[in-house]
Amino acid sequence: MLIFMVRRFGTMVLTMVVVSLLLFLLLEINIGSVAIKVLGPYSSEEQRNIWLEANGYFEPFYIRYFSWLGNFITGDFGDSIRFKVPVGEILWPRLANTGILGLATMLVVIPLSLVLGVLAGMKEGSNLDRGISVGSIVTTSIPEFASAPLLSAIFVFYLDWLPGTSSMASGFSLVQLVLPAMVLVLYDFGYVTRMTRASMAEVMMTHYIRTAVLKGLPYKTVITRHALRNALIAPFTVIMLQINWLLSGVIVVEFFFAYKGFGALLLEASLTKDIFMIEACAMVAVFVAVATQTIADVGYTYLNPRIRFA
Amino acid sequence: MTDIAAGVQRRESRIVRTLKGLALIRESVVGMIGLALVLFWVAMAAFANQIAPFPPNATLYPLAAPGEFVEGMGTFWLGTDHIGRDILSRIIHGSRQVLLYAPLATLCAYLVGIPMGLAAGYRRGATDGVLSFISNVILSFPVLVLYIIIIATIGASGANIVVAVTFASAPGIFRIVRGLVLDLRNREYVFAAETRGETPWRIMLVEILPNARGPLIVDACLRLGYVIITIGVLGFLGLGLPPPDPDWGGMINETRQMAMSFPHMTVFPGIAISSLVLGFNLLADGLREVSLRD
Amino acid sequence: MKKEIKDENGKRVHPYVPELCEQLRKGELDRREFLRTATLLGVSAGAAYGMAGKILGEPMVKEAAAAEDPKMGGTLRWGMQVQEMTDPAKFDWTEKSNVARHIVEYLCRTGSDNITRPYLAEGWEASDDLKTWTFKLRKGVKWSNGDDFNADDVVFNFTRWLDPKTGSSNIGLFASMVEEIDTGKKDDKGNAVMGKRMTAGAVEKIDSHTVRLNLNSAVLSMPENLYNYPTAIVHRRFEAEGGDLSKNPVGTGAYALAEHRVGDKAVLKRRDGYWGKKPFLDEIVYVDLGEDRAAWLAALASKQVDGIYQFDVNQLDMAERLPGVVVHTATTAQTAIARMQMDKAPFDDKRIRQAVQACMDHEKLLQLAYRGKGAPGEDHHVSPIHPEYAKLPVQKQDYAKAKKLLADAGHPNGIQITIDVGNTSGKWELDAMQAFREQCKPAGIDLVLNVMPSSQYWEVWDKTPFGFTSWTHRPLGVMVLNLGYRSGVPWNESHYNNPAFDKALDEASAILDVNERRKKMETVQSILQDDAVALQPLWRAVFTATSDKVKGYSTHPTFYHQFNEVWLA
Repeated sequence: MLIFMVRRFGTMVLTMVVVSLLLFLLLEINIGSVAIKVLGPYSSEEQRNIWLEANGYFEPFYIRYFSWLGNFITGDFGDSIRFKVPVGEILWPRLANTGILGLATMLVVIPLSLVLGVLAGMKEGSNLDRGISVGSIVTTSIPEFASAPLLSAIFVFYLDWLPGTSSMASGFSLVQLVLPAMVLVLYDFGYVTRMTRASMAEVMMTHYIRTAVLKGLPYKTVITRHALRNALIAPFTVIMLQINWLLSGVIVVEFFFAYKGFGALLLEASLTKDIFMIEACAMVAVFVAVATQTIADVGYTYLNPRIRFA
Repeated sequence: MTDIAAGVQRRESRIVRTLKGLALIRESVVGMIGLALVLFWVAMAAFANQIAPFPPNATLYPLAAPGEFVEGMGTFWLGTDHIGRDILSRIIHGSRQVLLYAPLATLCAYLVGIPMGLAAGYRRGATDGVLSFISNVILSFPVLVLYIIIIATIGASGANIVVAVTFASAPGIFRIVRGLVLDLRNREYVFAAETRGETPWRIMLVEILPNARGPLIVDACLRLGYVIITIGVLGFLGLGLPPPDPDWGGMINETRQMAMSFPHMTVFPGIAISSLVLGFNLLADGLREVSLRD
Repeated sequence: MKKEIKDENGKRVHPYVPELCEQLRKGELDRREFLRTATLLGVSAGAAYGMAGKILGEPMVKEAAAAEDPKMGGTLRWGMQVQEMTDPAKFDWTEKSNVARHIVEYLCRTGSDNITRPYLAEGWEASDDLKTWTFKLRKGVKWSNGDDFNADDVVFNFTRWLDPKTGSSNIGLFASMVEEIDTGKKDDKGNAVMGKRMTAGAVEKIDSHTVRLNLNSAVLSMPENLYNYPTAIVHRRFEAEGGDLSKNPVGTGAYALAEHRVGDKAVLKRRDGYWGKKPFLDEIVYVDLGEDRAAWLAALASKQVDGIYQFDVNQLDMAERLPGVVVHTATTAQTAIARMQMDKAPFDDKRIRQAVQACMDHEKLLQLAYRGKGAPGEDHHVSPIHPEYAKLPVQKQDYAKAKKLLADAGHPNGIQITIDVGNTSGKWELDAMQAFREQCKPAGIDLVLNVMPSSQYWEVWDKTPFGFTSWTHRPLGVMVLNLGYRSGVPWNESHYNNPAFDKALDEASAILDVNERRKKMETVQSILQDDAVALQPLWRAVFTATSDKVKGYSTHPTFYHQFNEVWLA
């Protein structure tokens, strides 16, 4: 187990190094534009060169990369070009906001899709199963950028029930969370439902469940005591991976509802080539990806006694 | 001679078998609905010039409501947008963009992902280690962000979208193929071929790959749907196919400011894209259903 | 010897004022233009209104007669992008200056009615030849750090603006205070590299509260220039103390910066010790609602903000339907120009530029891209609402001419050209260019649209050979032309270089009489239109919206904010 964790950690570090290096290389193209960003479009060529010089941009690529890496390891993420403050000051609050949105989404998605998935998987091929399966395929087929304008047209302008933007300008507000979360839930729950359904259906086919049913145990008892535990292992993994998906899945939603989260930050940073911001965001993304994967694997082992790490 | 002939015959029969397998889709109601949706849009794309009532970019009559008849022009069945272009014609022509770039990008991703997956799964060892690491690196980064950075750096054009989709999707395909190969490489016919002394690539392409086709076809349908959404998202964020040629995501982007006053401008392209994605998803579901029945 | 004319307070009145009165009486000048010119010449706004009232036989109009009594207190929340706010002299976005305008102030102030009034300057006098301007500064104004505001501050600012190293666009605005010099360096071809510097003695401190500006050429719009957004007066130790307004917000304004987070919000709190009338609002909060304008109106509708910076023409139908929301429309000289750099192929060939120009149907573009709200453009960047606008013959779409010009230029089978579009003033830019693309087709011109995010457009706006750039409103036509089309000025994005134009512009800029200036403008406008460097589809009206609780607000044609008079019901 310890060896497993150490190896995972090693992979994560290596991945971070490779990703950061690739991003540095990708952003190396058109490096001079950074000075224009900082000094404004009306600055003179001379001023730009002075700034580039002062900030070490004329140093060879690898020196800049390693100095960034050194600072990063010691916790100094550099200054954002767009915001002109240390990256952390912007990044952490934004990440927390996305965490809130993700949590709200998951709080709806998990119970909803587990219940629907179990209901559908209990009797494969039943009308209920057909209905839930097709319904979840349909909602998964509606992209967020199509459902967001539609839902806000309905709930903001026709019904006037909900606010149309979620900038949380005057502090946290639960009603502002409803629409973004609704769009995410709509797009996401179908996938988890289908995974749960498949897992449940598979468990229902196993011998021990059939035996239990044949033994004359009440159907309810069979489902709750025997089937559920085994059926929920696969969805657990899927849900962990959904957390990783949410990190970028929120981009469209955050952009549309002006929600100040990680996705919108990453989008803006990519568009303005805010290099240190992109790097820091990327490191967070890699960390979350590896961490959720690890938790999924460990949890899978814990839930499924048949697998042990060698 | 006979050997090659036998090979050809065997491969033909394999193709026939595949087609017969695919034809089983008619037994799945869901799959048939999906197929119908996809074929509907393929027909739209193929005969766009004949079907579309107006040229897609012509500025005719601004802000017509759906079904509005304008003297001297005709009826705008789905209305027009704010600069007077017929939405129905733009949706019909827009299907061309989607059905050109989405399959092209998916195909490219498979052309990259399949050989990598074959090599990693068959050779294992160091090849597998390196390739798996590369794919893990790419997969550990949010895919959409990857698209955005790539497009924002190299610029938005059809070819660049294909490049970005290939780069971001190939690792996922790699993983699936690798998993399938790890399973299939222990089959008897692979050992038989190895004993015959066939080259590794021949074994991978002729013996292993065709036997992995079932799951790959299902995956391709799902992936097509996903790529269509991705291209739409890029269009929606203003990083999609350059205007004015209609692109469904871009149509929503251009008119979403007016979504509240003139919902037809965003709702119809949204329905179009959703229906095509739904088509591929249902098709995948149907294929999976009939393949499990075997 | 000329007789000195004095007003009732014994103050010297510019000798041109009686003539103005005469013109108003004869109807050669409308009331608005009279007020504008008279105040420019140093007549106080109150006195000018009085003169106009006497001449026209109307009662003296009191401005903004309040139907309700203003209430003190409250927080005004305004949806607007919160951008970096380092150096007021280098502001390139009005949004930056809007936050800053509550902290630092200007010598003069142009109201929403287009009339310029005293502000930090108590009054001003111009010499008869309009080459010497004397500004009397207000006494008793204190900086927020306790220092007295005085002539040194003004001299410091002018010196700084006119130093090319500062990189301020003001160097173009005050071109009459700048001279061209040989830098001593040579370029690759061995030609001398020319530089600019402030003319010696251009800014002169007379006493602690009087500053004189000595110009090389006559300029009429000095007071108006001094309310242009990069001309806020910063403290004389601005550079010594770090040169960053957002970190060291020292100003004379009524508000102090309490918080400033780029991309998030800016908070301004009313400070004690302001020299002027105490403003009503306790606090002004600018909330960054992101770049997506569709979200702004929604934020107003759901009462997250009390006002928004602006909204697009495409949202007009929706905005008018929202309950509790007031739409404010302003007629402006805001526009965007499809400008071609005349030193880059293929646009170095005037025939190509004119061929593209001949394809444009301005009126139709106005209808398609802007719902007809505004006026058709005429490719010379002088608006019908500018006082000196001269009416030129109406341009006609002419495909035969376009084809012939193209053939003459060596492209008988048509040509493909690419324009960069950044939608920096809204999606209407892309709409206009998409419609224009269709108009270009019949002439064999394939107009390719290269759409990019607005932040990327501002990276290339002065570099791309062919781009669609938005330009803001300025009160006078000559102001725009001096800023954007005079040879060699920093904002000359088309690299326009035409001595005949410069000369004609110099002449026009020196004439006070609107009717006389208009005659000169005819030449200026014709040259620019004929050179076809800047194709201009339309002049646009602009729209903002507030909640019905916001009182005392009117939209400034350039969206300048100064909320000292605004209050919440």
